[in-house]
Amino acid sequence: MSKLIGQRISKVYGGKEVLHGIDLELESGKIYGLIGRNGAGKTTLLSILTSQNPTTGGTITFDGEPVWENPKALAHLCFSRELNPVAGSSTSALKIKEYLRIAATFYPKWDKKMAEDLMREFALDEKKHISKLSKGMLSMVTIVVAMASKAEFTFMDEPVAGLDVVMREKFYQLLVEEFTETGRTFVISTHIIEEAADVFEEVIIVDQGKILMKENTQDLLERCWHVSGHEEEVDAAAAGLERHHEEHMGRSKGVMVMLQPGQKIPEHYDITIQKLSLQKVFTALCGEEA
Amino acid sequence: MNEILTQEKSIYIQIKEMIENDILRDILREEERVPSTNELAKLYAINPATAAKGVNLLVDEEILYKKRGIGMFVAAGAKKLITGKRKEHFYDDYVRSLMMEAESLGITKKELIAMIERAEDSVSLFVEDKY
Repeated sequence: MSKLIGQRISKVYGGKEVLHGIDLELESGKIYGLIGRNGAGKTTLLSILTSQNPTTGGTITFDGEPVWENPKALAHLCFSRELNPVAGSSTSALKIKEYLRIAATFYPKWDKKMAEDLMREFALDEKKHISKLSKGMLSMVTIVVAMASKAEFTFMDEPVAGLDVVMREKFYQLLVEEFTETGRTFVISTHIIEEAADVFEEVIIVDQGKILMKENTQDLLERCWHVSGHEEEVDAAAAGLERHHEEHMGRSKGVMVMLQPGQKIPEHYDITIQKLSLQKVFTALCGEEA
Repeated sequence: MNEILTQEKSIYIQIKEMIENDILRDILREEERVPSTNELAKLYAINPATAAKGVNLLVDEEILYKKRGIGMFVAAGAKKLITGKRKEHFYDDYVRSLMMEAESLGITKKELIAMIERAEDSVSLFVEDKY
């Protein structure tokens, strides 16, 4: 069982701290979902965990060894970044073929056949220049690299951005297939929370440079409920419980209740209790300061 | 096993109920192997741990049993167990919510009984047909 552990990770960009002392422990054999609003620090965190970006403070270790500039530890990690097609960027002038060839030298367990199979499955033309690719094709190339890296810990930054819904479903299928066959760990950031929720064993919510929550997805969904009805009834039923995102309309009120172990929403109130999706839970937690 | 997943219930509960439904409908027969957690995970593109949670609930309820190294199987008597269990839950799932809704609408007990009798007439054909 390998572990990637980040302790007190902080990052300052141009005098502004964007990550504030993050502690994070990732275990092998899990699919993690990383969600957070724009600018929450997801990409910075992913790039720091994989040593593509130095920390300002804190440490990252893989099985006890520091990761920074440590080829032995880095051999187990892959961060397939979003590709930049803009002219003048380091990758834009490359053909897909050349980009994959470079990727192959980075990852010791590179699976050439898998890369070729996926290229075919995605109908990607290896002779195409990165600068000429559509948004969806750019995502596909990052997926090919992530999958074929065969890295024990693979990090993907919005792999489904730009993919149409059929391709997105195909991606989740592919991900689960690879996961069940290899047990590799995947950390996946996404804004399309709803359709990814069922794939994540654990969800990590990043908010304003901090980790707001890291929890088993199903456990989290089982303790979050939307309670609504007459304001007085809702207030009475939710008294003493953790509440988020209250909404009013006339006498009516809705609120998300987050139960702690052993807590229950009391019966005998004239209220509606509904299950929430991960997306709704996320909005309730992070949507306050729209 | 080809129902689709919804957002209304926990995924693992849906996996569990889908297997139960398949057993009730003889899509899965007693002493037959059920799809593995990984097969279910791939089919629905869900996390295998979630699929396993649903399957394990059925093992706990002795509806499925594990054959080491081979997989999960439908237990003998599973069908009866499921019907029995659903009967028990019938009170909580249907009768209680029926009563609560009736109360909030001011439907009297007499009216409710009359409605049940009316409903009985309209489904009795179906019930006789089935059992």
